[in-house]
Amino acid sequence: MLAPAILGLLIFFVYPLIASVYYSFTRFDLVSAPQWIGLRNYAYLFTQDPNVWQAAGNTLWFVVILVPVRILTALGVAWLLVRAKQASGFWRTLFYLPALVPPVAAVVAFVFLFNPGTGPVNLILKAIGIHGPLWFNDPAWSKPSLLLLGVWVMGDVMIIFLASLLDVPQELYEAASLDGAKSWQKGWYVTLPAIVPVLVFSVVTGVIAALQYFTEAAVASSVASGRATVGEGGGATIGYPDNSLLTYTEWLYVRGFSNYQLGYASALAVVLFAVASVVLLVLLRRVRAFTPEEAS
Amino acid sequence: MNRHSPTRRAAFVLAMSAAVALVATGCSPAATNSAIDATAPAKLTGTVSFWHFFSDREAKVVQSVVDDFEKANPGVKVDVHSGQDDEKLQKAIAAGNSVDVGLSYSTDIVGNFCSSGAFRDLGPYITRDKVDLTQFSTTVRSYTEYKGTRCSMPVLADDYGLYYNKKLLASAGYSEPPRTLSELEKMAIALTTYNADGSIKTLGFNPMMGFYENAASHLGPLAGATWLKKNGNSAIGGDAAWTELMTWQKGFIDAIGYDKVNAFTSGLGQEFSADNAFQTGQVAMNLDGEYRTAFIDDQTPNLEYGTAPLPTADDHTELYGGGYITGNIAGISKGAKNPEAAWALLKYLTTDTGAIVKLSNGLKNVPTTSAALASPDLEVTPQFKTFLDIAANEHSGTTPPSPVGAGYQQSFEDYWHKYQSGSGTGLAAGLAKVDKDIDASIALTAGP
Amino acid sequence: MTVVAAPRSRRRVLAWIGEHAILVAIGVLFIAPIAFVFLTSLMSNKQALTASLIPTTWHWENYVRVFQTVPLGQWFGNSALYAVLATGFMLVSSVPAAYALARIRFRGSGVLFLCIIVAMLLPPQVTAIPIYVMWSQLHLTGTLWPLILPNLLGDAFSIFLLRQFFLTIPKEYADAARIDGCSEWAVLLRVIVPMARPGIAAAGLFMFFNSWNDYYGPLLYTSENPAAWPVAYGLASFRSVHGTDWSITMTMTILVLVPVVIIFFFAQKIFVEGITLTGVKG
Repeated sequence: MLAPAILGLLIFFVYPLIASVYYSFTRFDLVSAPQWIGLRNYAYLFTQDPNVWQAAGNTLWFVVILVPVRILTALGVAWLLVRAKQASGFWRTLFYLPALVPPVAAVVAFVFLFNPGTGPVNLILKAIGIHGPLWFNDPAWSKPSLLLLGVWVMGDVMIIFLASLLDVPQELYEAASLDGAKSWQKGWYVTLPAIVPVLVFSVVTGVIAALQYFTEAAVASSVASGRATVGEGGGATIGYPDNSLLTYTEWLYVRGFSNYQLGYASALAVVLFAVASVVLLVLLRRVRAFTPEEAS
Repeated sequence: MNRHSPTRRAAFVLAMSAAVALVATGCSPAATNSAIDATAPAKLTGTVSFWHFFSDREAKVVQSVVDDFEKANPGVKVDVHSGQDDEKLQKAIAAGNSVDVGLSYSTDIVGNFCSSGAFRDLGPYITRDKVDLTQFSTTVRSYTEYKGTRCSMPVLADDYGLYYNKKLLASAGYSEPPRTLSELEKMAIALTTYNADGSIKTLGFNPMMGFYENAASHLGPLAGATWLKKNGNSAIGGDAAWTELMTWQKGFIDAIGYDKVNAFTSGLGQEFSADNAFQTGQVAMNLDGEYRTAFIDDQTPNLEYGTAPLPTADDHTELYGGGYITGNIAGISKGAKNPEAAWALLKYLTTDTGAIVKLSNGLKNVPTTSAALASPDLEVTPQFKTFLDIAANEHSGTTPPSPVGAGYQQSFEDYWHKYQSGSGTGLAAGLAKVDKDIDASIALTAGP
Repeated sequence: MTVVAAPRSRRRVLAWIGEHAILVAIGVLFIAPIAFVFLTSLMSNKQALTASLIPTTWHWENYVRVFQTVPLGQWFGNSALYAVLATGFMLVSSVPAAYALARIRFRGSGVLFLCIIVAMLLPPQVTAIPIYVMWSQLHLTGTLWPLILPNLLGDAFSIFLLRQFFLTIPKEYADAARIDGCSEWAVLLRVIVPMARPGIAAAGLFMFFNSWNDYYGPLLYTSENPAAWPVAYGLASFRSVHGTDWSITMTMTILVLVPVVIIFFFAQKIFVEGITLTGVKG
């Protein structure tokens, strides 16, 4: 029963991991055979690569800003729905709907909506007397713009919170009321402990997703730059504006599949693997679902 | 006899290293150029897979010439893949997908493709078939080879000039296009109009780097700026011409306001759509390639416009008349299944006068052979003539090939974008960093 | 009593109004983007480039024009092929694996489970290069097969999800069947699969949606072959490659969205349960 899955792990996980490490010590462009260059790629990565630190910084931004903001919004909306006794049906569907939108479509839509010149958002802001920023076209605003997008599609996280908020036994609240607890105390002592596992889960999956943040940033850059990349290829717009949206995984893609420095890109991959492993080790122990104990 | 004489040991080491080298190259599939037939085959057969970057209207023009080739060679079927940019072309060649002939929009890949072997050395074919290379100009010849290896042939050239909207210029009292950058700026600011809320309605000239064809490579020739030194390292930081161009461009953009220009630019139509800002009159003057004349004929035939060489830096008026030249280049891929037919197609596209003239008339690109340039069939409008003159001008130049392709231009433009938005550090320090980045990147790709 | 009760209930009414006012406000913000995209999809190209919210003339023909601009039918077909095959292959391979991990004791099951978790959580970019090289040597780049075929050998996230679901089925059912002399395969197919239908459906839906929405995979493997593009990738490349403008891009955005929303409305319950399962149970 497990044979195909084990084979799959070997071919698509174990072998590529080892091969990545090997390639990371070579110069390799896929046209000719890999050429061993020792630690050159790593030396370049840590001391000379002009963009890797900015790319890592941008990815970090998504990890420490996007993830918590998304989770808090989702929690807030879920809490509001539960309080208003609208935890299912129309309202839930409404708030979940954006999460269904294919990411590419959502990004294309947002870049259009937030177009500084002609988009509806700045048009409406102008109507109420606010001079809107340049959003996706301004290096200082491009990441916050994607943050708004991330908040818009928080539905999947919200659903998990809804379920866990509804799971909190009603008797606990009643007992707390009898003890004279104020509503914030009920929230702190009753609700929070009950949803901690879910909170941890959403943090872990959020961080993992943020580490590989790619699609939204790449598509936003390409669409917002408005560049016709006829002839050049998509790598030309990645990071726009001013590399403010250049994430680590995008940089890996550019070096690997746009510049065809597969050896160097493998070095970037190995570093990503190391970082992700540390994150996983720290976070993984805290999620019960990821531990094998329950099996038999 | 001493069994361990130093010479013998040296010979042994040499033999071993030669063996290792042989094994190593034997592994790599680069050994494809070895043998070609002594004479061109009398009758060609099979399928040629032809990848090019043109799309939509332009792809139809290319297809018409391919049809002519098929008619002339009934045994050959050409399998055309259009809309393939450099990234995709490289991907396909590297992955060994069936690419026979690849046509790229830019000369920047030549260094990379020649040195990696992605494109074959065409030397043997050229010698065998006695192709006369002197029919191409020296610039064109220089950008189609790398370190003595000719791995590509020129398929028409592009060069860049200034387009101006005659009506808009006349309404502001101008009858002639600018000849220097300060004239350009002065006229542009006079031609700029604003909405009631202070946002830009129309721009005289859009100074934003990255807008349509505004690129460092296209501006460089205006001040005679250089890219790489003889040893292959970056010359950017040490060249005062770049500093001059950048300072001018930043001053221009600040005179209007970066945010205003940025907001205006983001609301403009796509470069290759009918809503191109020059064609809609939203910008009065624009830097663009000769191919724009074909787009205007097709999309906005009623536009009254003129063309001129780009204005030069104020202290380089002697360069007026020149500009940036680049070209479409084509080569035969490493893994070509049908190299003879591929070579026949390549030769047809790049040296047959009829084919070149037909392509040129359709795409409005500059022909690259002397015979095609002199052909009476070549349709030359006054606007297009400007670009033929730029191509022939002695001050025109191109970007040098490098093992990192256009990577060095990318590094520079990344910084220029930061600089124009005001977030770059001091210019001298910034450019020194650009030099360092480029040198390191070249060393990583091609160093020992 | 009444003196005390009145403000209480008034406060409740106020709270009710307040809560619903906030909900409505957020709700409008959440639905507005889709509404504006829809409105723009009906504008002329010229109007979409101006500052306007509502079409002056309604260009329903945009929905026909978009099919003439790009091979949208083919792209939808590719997306469907990718999503359906990936889902089918995944189920065939991952259901048995998940069952074995959930209910069969064997040495090394802990290690194997850990491997699956790590494979599921590690960024795919870590392993992308050697896998790309592998497929290029098989001359399968330029097609969607490198994205479809691996599912025959299991998908880590699906195995994880299915295992979570199988764990919620009481052991006794399987034990009873085993006592009746059923093989493990028989237990799985006759007892577990029928009981786990909602979980299997959820895993299938996730796979389907992930494949439908995938951008990175098609970017890597099919970018050089427009004939193989799925619709999500086509949409991303649309504006830069075809020099098209906003209105028709928005038309295509709506078209990409529609199938997903339709499927969701038919399978809402399964979907919500599936999401909940990943995070809450287990």
